[in-house]
Amino acid sequence: MIKKYQRSFDQISEIVADTERFFTDEKIDPALRMKVDLSLEELFVNMVNYNTETEQDIKIEMRPIEGGLEVSLTDYDVERFDPTLAGEVDINAPLTDRVPGGLGLYLVLKMADSIHYEYHDRKSKITFTNRTAAWEKGQDV
Amino acid sequence: MFEIDFNDSGEVVLSGRLDAAQAARAQSFLDGVEGPCVVDLAALDYISSAGLGVLLRTHKRLMAEQQGLELVNVNSHINDIFCYSGFDKLFVIRTV
Repeated sequence: MIKKYQRSFDQISEIVADTERFFTDEKIDPALRMKVDLSLEELFVNMVNYNTETEQDIKIEMRPIEGGLEVSLTDYDVERFDPTLAGEVDINAPLTDRVPGGLGLYLVLKMADSIHYEYHDRKSKITFTNRTAAWEKGQDV
Repeated sequence: MFEIDFNDSGEVVLSGRLDAAQAARAQSFLDGVEGPCVVDLAALDYISSAGLGVLLRTHKRLMAEQQGLELVNVNSHINDIFCYSGFDKLFVIRTV
């Protein structure tokens, strides 16, 4: 699946619907849905929030891989920002020190089985994968 | 689809998907809530960091008067997100 989305939170519901259709069509294990939805939303929202200099759409690609799926988001006319280098969040901090925000990329790094960042010609491409626990277990044998 | 309302017991009930597109509506509702407050998440299917921010902001406001949010009927998927986020150390959470 390859599709472009406008830079708006209103597109999230369409992304969710398209993801659901992809899972059904490609027979991807539904157990991966929550992780994929979360990583997709966090990365999409991050692109919308932090690249306000362009009106170009954001491209999302999904393809099945052995044991799961690979998802890519491409943003255009953007400064380099590598989400894999996002700072740690102190999840043990007391309530007084916790502030809303900052959890998004942290959760992506926790949820994705792998994440890769490419940047060239002012184009950012973030690719993550998720595979089922059963497939991972099979690889360990 | 996201819904937020009070049930007959005066608890706040969240249902559907609390994502970035719905966070402002949820925050607007919870800004009018006084503590202590029970939030029933039995019908909540999904929450992202935007939704977590709404719960944290509300909890901090209420805890200023020592009355926070109690999150009940939390399913295992949502509870995983809470644990990854450290919310299990900040809120009273009752799982299904």
